[in-house]
Amino acid sequence: MRQDHAGHRAPLFKGSEPPSIDRADIVIVGNGIAGLTAAIQARSFEPDARIVIITDQNHPTINTPALKQFAVGKLTREQLLAYPPGTERQERIHLIHARVEKINAQGKFVTLANGSAFGYGSLLLATGSTPTALPAHLPGRDFDGVLTLHRLQDYLDLRRRLPEVEEAVVIGGGAHACETVMCLLHWGIHVHWLIRSAGLLPRMLDETASEMVLERIRQAGASVYTSTEVVGIVGRMGSVIGVVTNHQQFIPCQLVVACTGTKPVTDLAKHCDLPLKHENGILVDDHLRSSVRDIYVAGDVAALKNPLTGRYEPRAQWYAAVEQGRLAGAMMTGHREAARPFGVPWHATHLGDLSMLYVGNPLQSPPGSYVLTDTSRGGYRRLLLQGERLIGYLSLGPMQPDSLAIKRIIDEELPVRDILKGLLKGEFDARQYLSRRRTYSAQDLVTSGRLASVKPSPIQHQYQQTPESIPAVRSSEPAAEAAQPAPRLPTTEQLPPISTGPSLVPQRAPTSQPAASAPRYPILREEEEISPFTGSLPALPEHGQGGTRLNSGSLPASQEQGQGGRRNLWAYSDPALPAFSRRSPAQTQHVRSYRERQEGGR
Amino acid sequence: MRNPVLLHKTASQVQQELEACIGCNECLLACPALDEPLTIDVLNRETFGGPISAPVARFARSCYQCGACVPPCPVGLHRDAMMMWLKIRLYRSGEED
Repeated sequence: MRQDHAGHRAPLFKGSEPPSIDRADIVIVGNGIAGLTAAIQARSFEPDARIVIITDQNHPTINTPALKQFAVGKLTREQLLAYPPGTERQERIHLIHARVEKINAQGKFVTLANGSAFGYGSLLLATGSTPTALPAHLPGRDFDGVLTLHRLQDYLDLRRRLPEVEEAVVIGGGAHACETVMCLLHWGIHVHWLIRSAGLLPRMLDETASEMVLERIRQAGASVYTSTEVVGIVGRMGSVIGVVTNHQQFIPCQLVVACTGTKPVTDLAKHCDLPLKHENGILVDDHLRSSVRDIYVAGDVAALKNPLTGRYEPRAQWYAAVEQGRLAGAMMTGHREAARPFGVPWHATHLGDLSMLYVGNPLQSPPGSYVLTDTSRGGYRRLLLQGERLIGYLSLGPMQPDSLAIKRIIDEELPVRDILKGLLKGEFDARQYLSRRRTYSAQDLVTSGRLASVKPSPIQHQYQQTPESIPAVRSSEPAAEAAQPAPRLPTTEQLPPISTGPSLVPQRAPTSQPAASAPRYPILREEEEISPFTGSLPALPEHGQGGTRLNSGSLPASQEQGQGGRRNLWAYSDPALPAFSRRSPAQTQHVRSYRERQEGGR
Repeated sequence: MRNPVLLHKTASQVQQELEACIGCNECLLACPALDEPLTIDVLNRETFGGPISAPVARFARSCYQCGACVPPCPVGLHRDAMMMWLKIRLYRSGEED
């Protein structure tokens, strides 16, 4: 038996025992969240494929961002699991405890540390990242008590040491360092925080934001030293007693935590017989394909192109890893349509007691852009705009704004003129904004019989009030389309070009097309909307229109847009993925009769 | 409170938020209605789909949508909307019995 009830793996290879599986359709290296998500996603597409995860990690997949809660004792180890125990067995995913040494891409097999080979149909590299430890030449870096915090073992180690620590030094100027400082303060340890640059997170925060966070952390009790580096670690009898800084200061401590960032584990790219392009991470395209056929890369190790700067950089974040895992799973089973652009970088976390949100590139200044800042409501917000478009958003404050909605506004290039004040003041009501947009687009879809355009204009709003003037169906519009400026991105035949607001006018001129060709609905609203007050479930169309409901899953053409690099209004739902259960007409009938019974009973 | 239809998120948005959940458990720690141990991975998984286990069903019934779970979320997710979805799924599954 290879797995016990908790999904833990017993090593498959013991000594020279021969491997029992020598080939699999899908081989995944690494059981972090990207690897496991990919495996589960692949399983959902291919019920019969052989899926194998090869990993040298000795515990199941965990929620790594929750490790900081584990460090302060809010969580037990069991609560760290990313998937319920036994998921791997349930999904028939084989786990092999071994280390992959080499890739033979020509022969399509990997070589394990024990010398055996393992063939693959497609290979996913999800080897993650490793902490950048203190520089190799730093004196005293190998004393006991000098730690990095990255894996579960590191946190277990930290928790064991805490009772003996009175003073600690944290090195690094990132979000991880900030979390570590807060964790140590929580245990009543006096923390000296050494930051090499003049402020915190120099690539993500500006001076105001950085100072705001640092001030809160000073108030919480930490000593912050900016523009300070460690030049040596002092130990006695093998363990740390202090550090020396570049200002010739000696800081006594029993613990040194280096939070100096992570770097992708690209060893396998170096040990591949075909050139697997890698710099800072393994380079991949929007479909996570590497430069070698049938090798995909996901998670911290994948370097994706930033659409705003054009540079390849890894996105070492949880959400990015989950998304990439899902895409990789779909790609390896031949479901290319699942691909959609990853959009702009996005990061949301707590910095001390403040919530930080970083979307796009708020600190850059491309031509024609301008910056708006605001410091009301005990927070700080910085917006970078270009014309009517929002291209960067930085927010810091006691409350986290609706981060995914703001990412969506930047990704989809939605105009922000009407919501600018709300965004700037931190009172943006994303729910209302997006819900209204969806209503317009649903309206457009229903009245025109076309797919929704990305940017509905106020003109569509007028149609909402005058449903009699049903606009044309698509077949009568080629001339109007030709008159349009060439769309920036390729579209397919089924899909109307992405329209900008004003250019919709000629397109929407009423023609003699019969209105009956468009499906009619009595109530024009998102079918998923359910009133929480009445508990009433949405009314379904009365007469046999079940196949054309306002459900993205029934819009196959929308998938074609994946190539285009722009998400459409339906991008929140992923048609390739199992959706929430929808009721069949029989169930609807059942619910209706149930409700009648209930009301009759009262 | 102006429009009840706008009060919660759509299924697809809830699905995306579930994917963005980092599993830090802060929402469950802040919850005044949770009275038995429950892990976030089980809750997320059963909110998304599949059968609803007894502890999760009890939790979904006892959730009174106070919103205490929303401010602690480091990512800015809306656990209240997810719980509403769980309630709706529970309601549906109860009717199918």
